[in-house]
Amino acid sequence: MNNQSQDTLRKRLEGLDQMPTIPVILYPLLRHLEQPLDRLDLQQIVDLISQDESLAAQCLHMANSPLFGLWQPVDSIRSAVALLGMQRVREIAVSCSVLQLLPSGAGNVDPKMFWEHSLACALVCRQFAHRINFADPGKAYLCGLLHDLGIVAHLWIVPKEFQSAYEQARTQGIPLHEAEMTTLGVTHCDTGKAVADRWHLTPDLVAVLSCHHNPSAATVRRDLVALVSLSDLLCRMSGLGHGYVEQRQVNFIEEPAFAILLQECPALKTFDWARFTFELEAYMEEVHRLVAVLYGRRS
Amino acid sequence: MSPATVRSTESLLGLGALPSAQLLQIRDLVYRVAGIFQPDSKLGLLESRCRKRMQILGVTTFQDYYRCLTVKPTIQAELVALLNEITVGETFFFRNQPQLDALRNIVLPRIVEARAKMSPRHLRIWSAGCSTGEEPYTLCMMLLEELTGQLKGWTFEILATDLNELSVAHAEQGLYGDYSTRTLPEHFRHKYFIACDENLQINPEFKNYVKFSRLNFLDEPGMAAIKDLDVIFCCNVLIYFHGAAKSRVIEHFYDNLLAHGYLFLGHSESLYKVNEDFRLVHLPSATAYVKSEKRQLASPVQA
Repeated sequence: MNNQSQDTLRKRLEGLDQMPTIPVILYPLLRHLEQPLDRLDLQQIVDLISQDESLAAQCLHMANSPLFGLWQPVDSIRSAVALLGMQRVREIAVSCSVLQLLPSGAGNVDPKMFWEHSLACALVCRQFAHRINFADPGKAYLCGLLHDLGIVAHLWIVPKEFQSAYEQARTQGIPLHEAEMTTLGVTHCDTGKAVADRWHLTPDLVAVLSCHHNPSAATVRRDLVALVSLSDLLCRMSGLGHGYVEQRQVNFIEEPAFAILLQECPALKTFDWARFTFELEAYMEEVHRLVAVLYGRRS
Repeated sequence: MSPATVRSTESLLGLGALPSAQLLQIRDLVYRVAGIFQPDSKLGLLESRCRKRMQILGVTTFQDYYRCLTVKPTIQAELVALLNEITVGETFFFRNQPQLDALRNIVLPRIVEARAKMSPRHLRIWSAGCSTGEEPYTLCMMLLEELTGQLKGWTFEILATDLNELSVAHAEQGLYGDYSTRTLPEHFRHKYFIACDENLQINPEFKNYVKFSRLNFLDEPGMAAIKDLDVIFCCNVLIYFHGAAKSRVIEHFYDNLLAHGYLFLGHSESLYKVNEDFRLVHLPSATAYVKSEKRQLASPVQA
C-alpha cells in the first residue's frame, strides 16, 4: 500500500466513518461502573438490562457459564444480581453489549474471535488483578474487555484492508498491531484512541485503548495499562488470542509492562506465571464454548 | 457477593458442581510437592484418580485421603501412588504437539543461531526419563525431517535414559502397539516404521540416532558426565523427587545444558519455588525454561 492510500485510510479511521455509535446501553452502564457500589440503584440497572430482550437473554446465558462461577442456575436478571452480585452482572452486561457492537461479517475474518479474545482477556485481567492484589479487579475486567475496541473499528471502517493485515499477522505469527502498521499505516491502538475520544470514555480507558502495546507511553494509570498489556500478551501466547498463536518467545519478567506493574504491585515479584498459564487451559475451553453459543444467538 | 454462591479466587474456573475444598487442597498439595498442576478442567480426572486410591486404601472421604497424603508414615508411598495414577498412560508418540511445534519453530532456529558459532554443527538432545522410548523416537523423527530444512548440513544425537531397565529394554527394541502409536501421523508411520504383525517396529536404520541407557538421576557421576546439551526433555519425572534431591537434579540439568540450552518439562509441570537459575519462557501454547544470565556471568566456565 502506498503512502497516499495510507493517508486516505488514516483519515477514514480518524473520522470513524461507518463506525456505529456507542451502544445505547453501554454509556449508562459505563457511567454506573464509575459509581461506588453502595450508591447504585439496583432496580435501575436491572431495568436497563431487561429493556433489551436479546441483551438480557445473552446476559443470563453468560451468568450461567462456569466462567462466572455460579453453581446454581439463574433465570432472571434480578436473581443473577442477587446471586452473582452487582459487580459481576455489570461486567456481564458490558461484555454482551460489546458483542452487539461487532459487524456481522468482515470478509474472511470472523469478528467472533475478537470478542472471544476480549472476553478472555477481561477474565484474565480480573483474575491476574486478584492474584497480585491489584486495587481494582472490576476496572481491570472492563479494560481487558474494551482494550481492542480499535479492532472493532477496523472491522467496520476498513474491513478489506484490515483483512490483509490480519492475514499477514496470522501467516507470519506476528502481533496484529505490527501487521496493521505495515498494511494500514495505523494500529488498532491509534484507532482505539479515536473511538475512546469520540465516545468520551474515561481517561484510564483512553490510556488502555491507546497504549496497551506500549504501556510506557501512557500518561495516566500506567499500572492498569501494564496489567492489561501482560494479560493480553498471555492470552495471545496461550491460544486465547485472535485465532492464532504468535510465533515467538516471551519472558514475562523482561517485558517493560512487568517493571511498570511491579512498582505498584510488589506481589508480582513472586507471581507464579507457570501455574497461571496452566489454569488458562480451563478458561480456553469454557470461553470457546460460551462464545460459540452466545455468538450463535446474536440478533 | 455471597461466598457460598461464587467460587473463591483460588479456583480460576469452576466446574458444573462445586469441587470440594478437600479436592482443591489435594490439587494444591500435588502442585506444591510435585510441581504438577491439574487445571480446573481436569479436576474430574483428579477426583476419579483419588477415588481409585481411596478405594484401595479403604478410605471414604477426601478429608481422610488428604490425611494419608500429609501424615507420616504414608506420605511418600501414597504421593508416589497418586502421582503414578495422575501420569499413567501418558506415553505415546507426538504426545505434546504444541511443545514439539515450539521446539521446531522457535527453539531450533535459536539454537542453530547460537550453535553456528561453534563447531561441529551438531545438536545434542536428552530425553531424561524416556520411559519406553516414544518421546526420544518422536524427537528423532522430527529432527530427521528438519535435516532437509533448517538443519541442513547438521548432525544430531539423542540421549535417552530411564531408571527402569525394562523400559529401556522395551525402548531399544522399538516395538509399539496401538496405544502408543494412536496419534502417529500417517507420514511418519510409513517412513519410520515397519509393520510387524499387529504392531509397529521402528526402522532399525533410525535407531542409531538414539542412544538408550539406564540412569538414576541421583547417580552423581552419571549425571555430571552428561555435557554440552542443547535441549533436555524431562516430562513427568521430577514429580518423583522432593526437596534437596529435586533441587540437585535441576542443578545438574543446568550444568548439562549449554548456555543457550532449553529445558522442557511435562504438560502443566513447573519449577516454581524449586529453582531460581532457570527462567520460565512462554512459547506458542507451551512453556519451557532457559538458563538465566545471572548465573552464566557468575560461573562462565560451566557453560
